[in-house]
Amino acid sequence: MSSKNPRERQMLESIYSMIALVFILVTCVDLCDAATVVDVYRLIQYDISGVPFGSRFATLNHHAGSLHFAPGADLSRTVLVIPVRELNITFVKEYISQRKPLGGLLFLLPQMFNFGNREAATEGKYQIREKELMKTVLAELERLLIHANIPYPVYFAFEDDDIDAVLADVKRSDVSGQPATATTGGYKLVVSAPEPKKIVSPSITNIQGWLPGLKADGDPNQLPTIAIVASYDTFGTAPALSVGSDSNGSGVVALLELARLFSLLYSNPKTRGRYNLLFGLTSGGPYNYNGTHKWLRSFDQRQRESIDYAICLNSIGSWDNELWIHVSKPPENAFIKQIFEGFSTVAEELGFEVGLKHKKINISNPRVAWEHEQFSKLRVTAATLSELSAAPELLESTGGLSDSRHFINETAIVRSIKLVAESIARHIYGRQGKNIQIFADNTSLAVNSPYIRSWVDLLSKTPRVAPFLSKNDPFVTALKKELEDHTREVNVHHEVLDGMFTLYDSTKAKLNIYQVASVTFDLLLLLVLGSYLITLFTFLVITTRGLDDLISLFRRPPSRKVKTA
Amino acid sequence: MTMFHFFNCAILTFGPHAVYYSATPLSEYDTLGTSIKAALVYLGTALVKLVCLATFLKVSENDSFDPYQELLKALIGFIDVAGLYFALTQLTHRNISQNHKYQAVGLGWAFADSVLHRLAPLWVGARGLEFTWDFILQGLEANANLVFSISLAALGSLMWLRKNKPKTLIPIIYACAGIVATMPSITSYLRKGLGWHFPKVVGFELFTSLVMAFISWQLFSACQRPSS
Repeated sequence: MSSKNPRERQMLESIYSMIALVFILVTCVDLCDAATVVDVYRLIQYDISGVPFGSRFATLNHHAGSLHFAPGADLSRTVLVIPVRELNITFVKEYISQRKPLGGLLFLLPQMFNFGNREAATEGKYQIREKELMKTVLAELERLLIHANIPYPVYFAFEDDDIDAVLADVKRSDVSGQPATATTGGYKLVVSAPEPKKIVSPSITNIQGWLPGLKADGDPNQLPTIAIVASYDTFGTAPALSVGSDSNGSGVVALLELARLFSLLYSNPKTRGRYNLLFGLTSGGPYNYNGTHKWLRSFDQRQRESIDYAICLNSIGSWDNELWIHVSKPPENAFIKQIFEGFSTVAEELGFEVGLKHKKINISNPRVAWEHEQFSKLRVTAATLSELSAAPELLESTGGLSDSRHFINETAIVRSIKLVAESIARHIYGRQGKNIQIFADNTSLAVNSPYIRSWVDLLSKTPRVAPFLSKNDPFVTALKKELEDHTREVNVHHEVLDGMFTLYDSTKAKLNIYQVASVTFDLLLLLVLGSYLITLFTFLVITTRGLDDLISLFRRPPSRKVKTA
Repeated sequence: MTMFHFFNCAILTFGPHAVYYSATPLSEYDTLGTSIKAALVYLGTALVKLVCLATFLKVSENDSFDPYQELLKALIGFIDVAGLYFALTQLTHRNISQNHKYQAVGLGWAFADSVLHRLAPLWVGARGLEFTWDFILQGLEANANLVFSISLAALGSLMWLRKNKPKTLIPIIYACAGIVATMPSITSYLRKGLGWHFPKVVGFELFTSLVMAFISWQLFSACQRPSS
């Protein structure tokens, strides 16, 4: 017994080492699954008061097809791969409005919209006209997709060599009349994403910075306040790509630069004005300025009454000659007149025009088109400075796919900042109508272009859809830190987005593209292999045992019967 | 249909071994034990080779053909030959004729080689959705490898087990054995140095395996004539 145990142990040990060897050899194997893996971004999925919009599914597991499919073909198990460059918007409109069955949609965007890829984004390959054309096409596509209820997954991807090759292959096979299904070969697109879930209590974060003015000794009254407000979040077709460079990245940059300039002025008590300055970076802009509404409600009555007026900045990054001031109080109002005259004088000096637009507030309508309307509802004088001449519809001009870095004009932002800064400064220091330039170029108070450029670059790389920004999101923290640099007191308010809007998660995924062989191919292969093995068998039997043996293999049963008989 | 593809490639890779065993007189004389012992010896040889490769070889960054590394790999490849020698001569086999002994040893050797080098990639890769020709080519390579192993075993048995050989044929025998033993180095030179694609390399292997099998068959029957 004892002699057996060491031997057994030895055998077990050798078996273990053998198993270990097998595992080592197995790990040397190169694990390679899909030929191509691409980052894809899902279309937004949201509800407004329970009514569903956007793409309602995330998982994808179908064959790829192109636009050259045979008319009348069944596409309910096909994913159409459409490059936006060759987009036929009527075709997509038809498909979506008639609710034709489709396995999925994959839109390929040109690399110039890829903010993550630095070399591609700055390539000057595209002429201005092409860029503008692309912008209009994308804008139309976005408008269509956002307001539709699509019962299949819709994804966006950037064009690159791999996916272009796949698409070329698919087109070729489609043109030759062989649609890709289970029985013929082709490409299979697989996205394995979890079921999209509602985002419960999405948080919106408002950041405010307070720059106190110079209080004269013995003056019990509170100083009046001027507020400068901009909303920093976006909403777009693909929330992972909604960087909103113009709407409202330009507003945010302008606000930060204004904070910097006024903090320089206010740092010296001799030049500190007798007005407090309140800078507000609000969230929830696309959702009827929900964040601004909550922020204003958080002030008490006295603070709100001390606000002389508020300037809201919205999309000031791509205009040429004309800006608009939108108000909700009638233009004959004395305050509005004063503000508008101040602005137009400065604009004239700077060489462009400022127009005034009046839009009455309809209290029964929940739609809030401009940020100043939230102020006006609480009887605070406010106006919005914007390049848009008409009020945008719900979820329009909120920073979608077409709003990219390429369409921003930095000089436009610089001029807007100069306009706002000079007008407010002249109001503070009582220099209206006088021809003095406080923020002149080449002085220490000049508008800092590199600062603007770096912030525009950063904003053009950060998607900022509010429900997907957590409370401690690094970008929100960065904005807070920046305001802390320039203002005395910074407060951060976290709120919950109102229940009318519900957003769903699952915005980014990885698409696996497999090249699959058809079943017929494998059946053929089986046939070939079967015949090969049979041939090999007969060949070996004949050469080693002789032809008689082969024949005897088939004749044995009868001979046995003869024997027993 | 991917399990189907795996099944197809598996019967291409391992089928010929089973067919060879059942078709030739090996099955009649029940030489399974010899094949299994040869397979175990192959496992041991593979372990020794791994250790030597890990100790002496350095990892190259690019996929080019480095003559010194390849020479070292060829020298380590001769451990294969030593293993085969061990399997042919040192193991105790049942009373089977020399003719069948080398076939059984070669079969077991080739089967262990296929299982070790090709089963894992097949299991992991052929079951996936992605289709490549690689696994079918790998199966063809396994077939060529079977023929090579049997030829090498035949030449080995001629070299070490047969005492009376015609003098003129001895250098030819050693030359052929040398060529078959260095076949891995030749294929890696073709793949890396000349840049041949996998299908071309597999075609070359199949062709040379048939040629070497024919030559070793002729040598074997030539050596058999004096004794009979």
